[in-house]
Amino acid sequence: MSTNLMPDDRRSLTLRLASLQYIIALAFAALAVGFWVFQIAQHDRFLEMAENNRLRRLPLPAPRGVLFDRDGRLLVENRNTFNIALVREQTKDIDSTLKLLAGATGADEKQLHETVARRRRDPSYRPIVLIENASLAQVIAVRARQWELPGIIYQEVPSRRYPSSDMAAHLFGYVGEVTEAQLQRADYEGVEPGTLVGQSGVEQAYNKLLMGTEGNKTVVVNSVGREIRELGKQEPVEGRRLELTVDADVQKSIEDGFAASGFNGAAVVLDPRDGAVLGFTSRPAFDPNAFAGGIDRATWSALNTDDLKPLQNRALQGRYSPGSTFKMAVGLAGLEEGVITPDFKVHCTGGAYFYGRYFKCWKKGGHGTIDLRHAIEQSCDVYFYTVGNMLGVDRINKWATLFGLGVKSNIDLPNEVTGLVPSTQWKAEHTKEKKWYAGETISVAIGQGQVSVTPVSMAVYAATLANGGTRITPHLLKAIDEGQGWKPVPPPPPQSKVDVTPEKLQAIRDGMWMVVNAGGTGGRARIAGKDVSGKTGTAQVISNTGRLAAARSGKDLRDNGWFVFFAPRDNPQIAGVVFVEHGVHAGNAASIAHHVLDTFFAKLDGRPLPPPPTREDLRLDLTDPYARRVAVEGGQH
Amino acid sequence: MFERRLYFHVDWLLLGAVVLLSGIGLAMIYSTTYVALPTGGHASPMVWKQVYALGIGLVALLVCLAVDYRLLAEHSLAVFGVLVALLVFVLVKGTTQMGGQRWIPIGPFNFQPSEFARITVALILAMYFGENRRGARNPSDLIIGGIFTIVPLLLIAKQPDLGTAVTLLPVFVGVAYLAGLRLRLLGVLVLAGLMVAPVAWKFALKDYQRSRIETFMDPEQDPRGAGYQTIQARVTVGSGGLVGKGFRHGTQGQYKFLPVAHNDFIFSVLAEEQGFIGVLVALGLYLFVILRSLEAARLAKDRLGAYLVGGIISGFAFQVIYNVTMSAGLAPVKGITLPLMSYGGSSLIASLAGFGLILNVRMRRFTN
Repeated sequence: MSTNLMPDDRRSLTLRLASLQYIIALAFAALAVGFWVFQIAQHDRFLEMAENNRLRRLPLPAPRGVLFDRDGRLLVENRNTFNIALVREQTKDIDSTLKLLAGATGADEKQLHETVARRRRDPSYRPIVLIENASLAQVIAVRARQWELPGIIYQEVPSRRYPSSDMAAHLFGYVGEVTEAQLQRADYEGVEPGTLVGQSGVEQAYNKLLMGTEGNKTVVVNSVGREIRELGKQEPVEGRRLELTVDADVQKSIEDGFAASGFNGAAVVLDPRDGAVLGFTSRPAFDPNAFAGGIDRATWSALNTDDLKPLQNRALQGRYSPGSTFKMAVGLAGLEEGVITPDFKVHCTGGAYFYGRYFKCWKKGGHGTIDLRHAIEQSCDVYFYTVGNMLGVDRINKWATLFGLGVKSNIDLPNEVTGLVPSTQWKAEHTKEKKWYAGETISVAIGQGQVSVTPVSMAVYAATLANGGTRITPHLLKAIDEGQGWKPVPPPPPQSKVDVTPEKLQAIRDGMWMVVNAGGTGGRARIAGKDVSGKTGTAQVISNTGRLAAARSGKDLRDNGWFVFFAPRDNPQIAGVVFVEHGVHAGNAASIAHHVLDTFFAKLDGRPLPPPPTREDLRLDLTDPYARRVAVEGGQH
Repeated sequence: MFERRLYFHVDWLLLGAVVLLSGIGLAMIYSTTYVALPTGGHASPMVWKQVYALGIGLVALLVCLAVDYRLLAEHSLAVFGVLVALLVFVLVKGTTQMGGQRWIPIGPFNFQPSEFARITVALILAMYFGENRRGARNPSDLIIGGIFTIVPLLLIAKQPDLGTAVTLLPVFVGVAYLAGLRLRLLGVLVLAGLMVAPVAWKFALKDYQRSRIETFMDPEQDPRGAGYQTIQARVTVGSGGLVGKGFRHGTQGQYKFLPVAHNDFIFSVLAEEQGFIGVLVALGLYLFVILRSLEAARLAKDRLGAYLVGGIISGFAFQVIYNVTMSAGLAPVKGITLPLMSYGGSSLIASLAGFGLILNVRMRRFTN
């Protein structure tokens, strides 16, 4: 059958086989060149890509620094919580992964998508934290679906634990993911996106110290991201431990006082000698623990839309009329400018005419003939209308400023706002009207009109009155532990110092002492043997006519109450302010201050601390004097 | 049947190179599928399957060597019939894995008939073109030869397994070329192919096939999806460098960044672990095997033998070149295995059987 090759055939076959050989050899040579290009010429690049595949540097978050009070008692510590995170490069289909994750954990799928979208520019191996502070049930749900959820990991991370619910919430502040805007700033250099940083309060002010240094570990992973072994580890360094000037007992007494009163407001209590903040609150507050591992959307929006603005730090950011508490500044200006002496007397008949307009004293029928000390004690409006008129607005502004009002206290907390004590210059620069009318000075003299102050500046005011003219800088940092034990931090230098004639200042202080200890309006702050000195102030939120008009709006338009204080009168050790929002009567603020002062001195004297007050203990006066009264302009007391 | 004197004409060098390549493949499979455990680890069961396949393959090689290829060729139509029957059977009753219905389960093994299509088609084409006086100069002969090729090709493509199906084309072209196919006609065929390509692109290819080719052109457009393998193949090969990362020290294959490393991408694993030097050795062995086989074709006693060898080795060479190119991420990912080295029993057995036939032709070049 077969068909041995004929010579012709063989020649042709040989030829064709030879060309086939050449073609194949050429193809192999081309392949060798191709492999040379990849394996030799571009080896470094590909090796790096392979190492990136295989090696993961996983961040190990550093615990933030622990906060202590001035006695070394724990204020803010850390606990371990779980984060559920997504490693994008390990998941093929992010959409279905997120959908499944939302189903398994009950998280909001839309929010998960937004989180991923926000971090889309991060390297794809860096975990994006999707659920912070995950519950155990969520962690278990994720673990059970590990194979259906490639790229979803859970990590144990340290997070903040704040003391019971909302104590000193605005003081401590809260932490949150570093924002895009912060990342652009120099002081956030080296902070990776997604890191928790302080977003308010001490957490923000001392973020750099508290943050510590993120550690990392290098692990070998396979293509589904499972760790195969660890190659190296750099332990995170915990943030600096900070000792605050805050006294936990004083702080608690403030919170207890407010809690018992049911009022919102603010309080700042200082050591008048150096400005150390002993207690600081703003109410209503929030629970900073809710932020500790990233706040959920519902809580955040609830906090933001709450009419009572719980996130606002009233002590630093609330501006209110000081009312009668302003009178010491006017009196002192009168004395120091030589306009009056302590014995200067005014006859109060319940009101007086200035520039053709009748200004009422709060006391119908008047105080009669009254000197400076009693004018402070009785809070006589006519007396200070008169002195203010003699001074003019600019000299009032000068002394109010020297004592801390209308300027920033420069406390070491973020976002402080400036109050306002008007002056002719201010009016010229900031209003359309430009010209200051002498009649406006009359309202300013009793802390009304354009005057507005922050509670923290009022605390500085009280401290400056207490220490005799040194406008101390309120501060919170007492000592830092840099790893070798506590290193005290010297108090910041005062903002200004004015040499006040002691006898003149003493007249003012006498008046303040009488407010509490004689027949004045602050009697509820009295503590036997402690010579508490203070001054109440009630300031209208709205004019009486306006209030009538707005009566049905449902808004709380009751007056705000102030109590500024220091104690003891000679060589004061504590000074501060209690501000009760819509507290009706300033005496109610004095009641809260009493509990604070009582606690402070009990501790100082080694007595047992007073128990938290009840509502009855505070003897609150809630009768609203203006509710039924229709007056044109109410006075102040 | 196996005469003693023939023993002296066995091409030991070729056989040695073939066995060596199979051994290298086995080692690479062992390396990349090694089950690492904290307490040590062990070889994957896949290695043992491949060892069995190698044993069976060597038996198949011996059988194909022992029986005179002319005797086999006489029964080529029957063999072809069996193949077509098996391919039809697979389509009806085969088991499905990795998106294709390709296997017939036999005990613990899965038998893949399509892998035997190349040698069967080579055999029947060699028989057809070798036994007619005209070779492949006549278009009508080409059409008949074409039908022998296209029937199993379509059956395999239907599974779907386009990669394996396509490997039948070089078998046909190889045999036809050696059988005197006019080069002008070859040109026309290529031209026709180019003209049909856009139509095929539009109508014949499935979405996943189109996306594979598209992402090959620009792997970065979908680095997580279809472009992933191409990128990872380059990374695997490139990271190997000159001397490689060492046996069992590859990371791309072992940690599965490169999918199906033990199968389609076994050469990438070799490049990663043994480096450019290993690549040159392996390529050299393959080139030697191919050239040596072409030599066997040249020495063949008859046209049947020459065409048979030419057909088998054309399919083999095409597979090697395509797979190696793909291993470096230089060709679109297709299910084309690397003969002798890739994991897969049927592929190995069929390849060894093919070399049995090649050795057979060379060994019997002096017999009548």
